[in-house]
Amino acid sequence: MKNRLRVLRAEREWSQADLALRLEVSRQSVNAIETGKFDPSLPLAFKLARLFETTIEAIFTDEN
Amino acid sequence: MERKIDNSALGRYKKRMLALMVVLALVSQLVFWEYIHNHPTGVLAYMLAVLPALSFIGIMVTYGLYIAELKDEFVRTVVKTSLLWSIVATLSVTTLWGFLELLANAPHLQPLLVLPIFGIFLGITTALVNRRYE
Repeated sequence: MKNRLRVLRAEREWSQADLALRLEVSRQSVNAIETGKFDPSLPLAFKLARLFETTIEAIFTDEN
Repeated sequence: MERKIDNSALGRYKKRMLALMVVLALVSQLVFWEYIHNHPTGVLAYMLAVLPALSFIGIMVTYGLYIAELKDEFVRTVVKTSLLWSIVATLSVTTLWGFLELLANAPHLQPLLVLPIFGIFLGITTALVNRRYE
């Protein structure tokens, strides 16, 4: 899945480590999600959406 | 920022492993001493022989608990994937060696060595799976 995490993070001037702390996950997790190598679970996707005050669809887009 | 990543699962895993290693070392020393000096037989010999194995089983249970307690889903995925690949590698190598023993008179592989072999594969597969996500 493609995502806009890097953009959303940059808008808030957060580093990957900052976002990881806010999500209570490892920095590696944020990096893997951001680069599209790992798809987060639905609960984590909701957490991301709440954190960025948007919807899951606004963050993640299906490549197909 | 006040919040910190929860590394408690890893901390508990390390503490349990350390405790088990100490128990394993002590139990092994005791059992071998008993076998060398008193030459136990019958049921006692069987019971004593099982004791060090229980510590090894404890190590596997500890690893299982670590996976169950992991809160970071990405780290859990990495650990589970590594674990699966190391199981595949261990089963492949031991099956292959079994046929080599059966048909080509290869030296006997002690079943005791399966766990260390698995541990080596787990180290290799963990490094490889981590690299995949870098």
